[in-house]
Amino acid sequence: MRGMGGGPGWSQGAVEDEDRVDAAEAGRIVKRTFRMMRPHRTGMFLALAVLVGFTLTTVAGPLIVGYAINHGLTAGHFNKRVVVASALVYLVVAVSMGVLERGQIILVNKVGESFLRDLRKRVFRHILSLSMSFFDREQTGRLVSRMTTDIDALENLVQQGMVIFVTSGLLFAGVIVIMAVLSPLLFVVTMVVLPPIVVASRKFRRESNVAYLNVRDRISQTLSTLQESLSGIRVVQAFGREESQFAHFVDHNQAQYDANLYATKLSARYFPVVEFTNSAATAVIIGFGALLVHWHRTSIGTVSAFVLFLAYLIDPIQQFSQLFNLVQQSGAALKKIFGLMDTEPSVSERPGAVELPDKGELVVDRVSFSYRPGESELVLKDVSIRVAPAERVALVGPTGAGKSTLAKLMARFYDPVEGTVSFGGVNLADATFSSVRRRIAVVPQEGFLFHGTILDNVRLADDTTSEDEVRQALRTIGCEQRFDALPEGLQTEVRERGSRLSAGERQLVSLARAALANPDVLILDEATSSLDPGTESEVEQALTALMAGRTVIVIAHRLSTAERADRVGVVDAGGLLELGTHEELVAKGGRYSALYQAWIGQNRSEGSEIETFGAAPEGGNGQGVMASGQTTSS
Amino acid sequence: MFLGVGAGMLWSGIRVFIPTLTGGAIDKDMANGWHPASLLFYAGAILVLGALSSTCSGFRRYLAFKVSYAVETDLRQAMFANLQELDFQYHDRAQTGQLMARAATDLQQINQLCTMIPITIANLLTVVLVSVFLLVIDWKLGLLALCCLPIVNVTAKAFSTRVHPVSMALQQDISNISTVVEETVTGIRAVKGFGAEGSQHRQLSGRADRVYDRIVHLARIRGLFQPMLDVIPAISMVAVLAYGGFLVIDHRIQVGQLVEFNLFITMLINPLRSLGQIIAQAQRAVASSERVSQILDALPEVADRPGARSLSPGPGEVRFDGVRFAYSKEGNPIFDGLDLVVAPGESVAVVGATGSGKTTLARLIPRFYEVDGGGVLLDGQDVRDLKVADLRRAVAVVFEDTFLFTETVAANIAFAEPGAAFERIERAAQLAGADSFIAELPDGYDTVLGERGFSLSGGQRQRIALARAILADPRVLILDDATSSVDANKEHEIRDALRQVMTDRTTIVIAHRPATISLAQRVVLLDEGRIAATGTHDELVATCSRYREVLAQAAALDAARTELRNELDEVPS
Repeated sequence: MRGMGGGPGWSQGAVEDEDRVDAAEAGRIVKRTFRMMRPHRTGMFLALAVLVGFTLTTVAGPLIVGYAINHGLTAGHFNKRVVVASALVYLVVAVSMGVLERGQIILVNKVGESFLRDLRKRVFRHILSLSMSFFDREQTGRLVSRMTTDIDALENLVQQGMVIFVTSGLLFAGVIVIMAVLSPLLFVVTMVVLPPIVVASRKFRRESNVAYLNVRDRISQTLSTLQESLSGIRVVQAFGREESQFAHFVDHNQAQYDANLYATKLSARYFPVVEFTNSAATAVIIGFGALLVHWHRTSIGTVSAFVLFLAYLIDPIQQFSQLFNLVQQSGAALKKIFGLMDTEPSVSERPGAVELPDKGELVVDRVSFSYRPGESELVLKDVSIRVAPAERVALVGPTGAGKSTLAKLMARFYDPVEGTVSFGGVNLADATFSSVRRRIAVVPQEGFLFHGTILDNVRLADDTTSEDEVRQALRTIGCEQRFDALPEGLQTEVRERGSRLSAGERQLVSLARAALANPDVLILDEATSSLDPGTESEVEQALTALMAGRTVIVIAHRLSTAERADRVGVVDAGGLLELGTHEELVAKGGRYSALYQAWIGQNRSEGSEIETFGAAPEGGNGQGVMASGQTTSS
Repeated sequence: MFLGVGAGMLWSGIRVFIPTLTGGAIDKDMANGWHPASLLFYAGAILVLGALSSTCSGFRRYLAFKVSYAVETDLRQAMFANLQELDFQYHDRAQTGQLMARAATDLQQINQLCTMIPITIANLLTVVLVSVFLLVIDWKLGLLALCCLPIVNVTAKAFSTRVHPVSMALQQDISNISTVVEETVTGIRAVKGFGAEGSQHRQLSGRADRVYDRIVHLARIRGLFQPMLDVIPAISMVAVLAYGGFLVIDHRIQVGQLVEFNLFITMLINPLRSLGQIIAQAQRAVASSERVSQILDALPEVADRPGARSLSPGPGEVRFDGVRFAYSKEGNPIFDGLDLVVAPGESVAVVGATGSGKTTLARLIPRFYEVDGGGVLLDGQDVRDLKVADLRRAVAVVFEDTFLFTETVAANIAFAEPGAAFERIERAAQLAGADSFIAELPDGYDTVLGERGFSLSGGQRQRIALARAILADPRVLILDDATSSVDANKEHEIRDALRQVMTDRTTIVIAHRPATISLAQRVVLLDEGRIAATGTHDELVATCSRYREVLAQAAALDAARTELRNELDEVPS
């Protein structure tokens, strides 16, 4: 239930099909978990030993009382020394119980939590290693819940499971042995009372697990209904639909109440059975015990100890049914986590991967690609292009034609289905990840910001970079002053998704990241125009500084950008249709030339710039976007 | 609630006799010879009382939980009802996340306190009864047994108070972890593009370490208090065993009474612990209920006035009569005496720079906000004198950010009238130019949309929102920048739909694209809350330099937005 405490994701508690696990699977999960626990073996055995000690001290209490009654307080055998000795032993046992309990709590937590800490790190490292195609498929919410809801479920197991397992198991076994030794006859009679409670516990365990999952599901539904109503409150009020929204919410709210009440009914039926079993057992022990005392088959002390022991017999049965649910829930969680861990990255580093050379030609050689393996429909078909060092190539074409995909292949976000991408003669697929990232940087269009300061955001790739180096990078692209001018300079915290920085400033951060990385090849999703007029020129300058001396692949959305590139490639329908300098292509009279004509035609008549000419080939270009004197200098 | 308390008191009243019976049986029937009748009585009584008390316990549990879940459910319902009534002014300020936390965490705290009330009363009774029993049997032994136990209570309270802030901090630490994961996954392009896997992993490691440290801290606190809570009663037992043993030897009490004492002490441990916990829980619940009542007590500024009238039929004339308005008492006024008349059936485009007041103007008509002076009149009737439901039924708004509910396409379109016939839904969709893409959706009109459903493009969402307004068949239609989230080069797709809808209907269009503006018969240029110019689009372009300026700025911003969207759309499906 920890997930309810606040923070993101109100609907993460939703129940998934994977929350149910069968027995064979449970076995595999347990084995694998134990393998993962191996590094924590020493701590675990220590914790186990302390736990056993603690449990033994717990059982010792009634035994001592029983002994004192038998040997010091039974008529005829009064003995003050026995009483004093018993009390002293009891005192020592009680104090050591306290000490052991403290040790047990701390040790169990340390061992369990270091396992979970490792697991968190491992799962996250694995997520990071997965390829882009995985992230294209997977929903953010599901991935996040692997690291939150599922690990929380394990947390419960770690916190309570091991303790319950050992103490309850040991108590139960210990008490049974002791009872059997003290008085086999009385023991057998006592056992008669147990079957009903075992049956009731099993039934309760099964039903309450279902009820618990149901309650969790209902809670998350109520909360997401509430969330939706709050987000859409303006529409609701505008159309006067408050009442039907309320009725909708009441349904969910009522369903949550019903689910809770059902769960309560289950426990209100079960716990009285436990309590009654206790009394019934007491009655049986007293009744039959008196008979045995009368027959001189047992002593009063033993009967007393039996009565006092009863709690230790019944509690574990109760606890075990709880443990079973815990194990089941964490089993489901582990299954989902393992499922994620078993996902292989589709782009991975080969054994014996080599470093990319410092400089070289970027060559795309007869590359074909599809996002889903084995799919016949290709996003790119047989594309080849050679980009010389320090050359600038602009890729243009309609949305979805494949220009972004081509750019991503050049940075090895994906591996081509056929053909190769190489840099300086080394196939990217044979190169180390770190050298690919060092040589080839991708600047995404949206300057995505992370929680933290501007400084941290710029040194995203390596948080050990010094502030001086960051400043140097900012200076290279000429925006040091701009960030220094902010209230807290580079230490300014950028909040959620960078709401405090303008789009232009976010892009400057993104460009500064690239400047800091100092790559040979820069892959740009054109960034020059998504801006507030204030920062436009600054971003322009930063880009110019950044591109100097580097190989640049730019996904161009504006013809002005294409015009300035050394060469232009027109990508459409998965193929590279035209490739050449701006002048060549205009002269050639093909696709590019048509776009260009449309653009300058627009330009002349309305003095405006047409932005995404991506849609131009479909006919409806511009639609009279009205602007005066807004032409980008070219 | 009283039933629950009653059942609880009965439960503890019965329960306290069982140790006495047990002790009595040991003394009468084992230590002092063989008395089958009395033995049968004792065993039988234990059995009967056990059955009674456990039945009461079941009822106590059921009733207590039932009442507190009912309280939680009612409170949540009341909260929701009030949130629905609260006006735009309130929701502009409130944060969804905060409100969600009230509905979840705070209500849970209150629920937990409610659950604890009957058992607490029962526990108090148990403590009192057991104490009396102990003191009656032997007051010295009783005092000895009881003197340790108040410490249990104090310790339990201190425990709960110490643990709470740390576990709250732990919650925060854990949610910090999910922030890193969420950001990394959402910003995976930036992470992969710059090779930031290593530093992201270090970030997460740092936070995972923090969680570990916090839990170990928590374990240290528990490791201090939990043993105390277990050892103190045990010491009580030791004292009882030693002193009680002497009393038995001195024939002052009997052996069975000693066992009885032990059983009584066991019976006291849990009640005393939970009494300590409930004090801490009550403090938390009070803080929670204060936060919840803040929501429940908030009053909507916009509500039906006493004697509010129904809207009488009319052609749909909208009149702003010397309207004054500011978003807050201290803030600058948006309007200071605005006059504007929109004739029945007329379509007017409102154009203005950011902050000129054009959206505010539109939102005053359906009375989303209350004017400070002057009046907004619909067909000659002041909107403040009308029933809100009538007014909003007559005025439909299409917002800039279209919100779709997690419902089917049909239900989203028929939002204003859930019972609308399918033909009407279909026709509204046709008019909005949405029918063709709806037909291509996986389940057509039955496709579930919204945050948790099928996601549509901006233009498609906009057309659904338009269909929603068309189905409402309003007297006045307001398009609040409704086309701006559609790419300029795709806007023509919905322009025909707009033209259809606007025919013969009073329409106020807030827009900045010339193509959309020119759909309206008249243009009003709004500048700093005043009407700076009015005329047709062509007239204003020709004569008004400020108009040209505003449009040029808007176009630049628009271009920027389109770029951004294109990139976002270019995700492989």
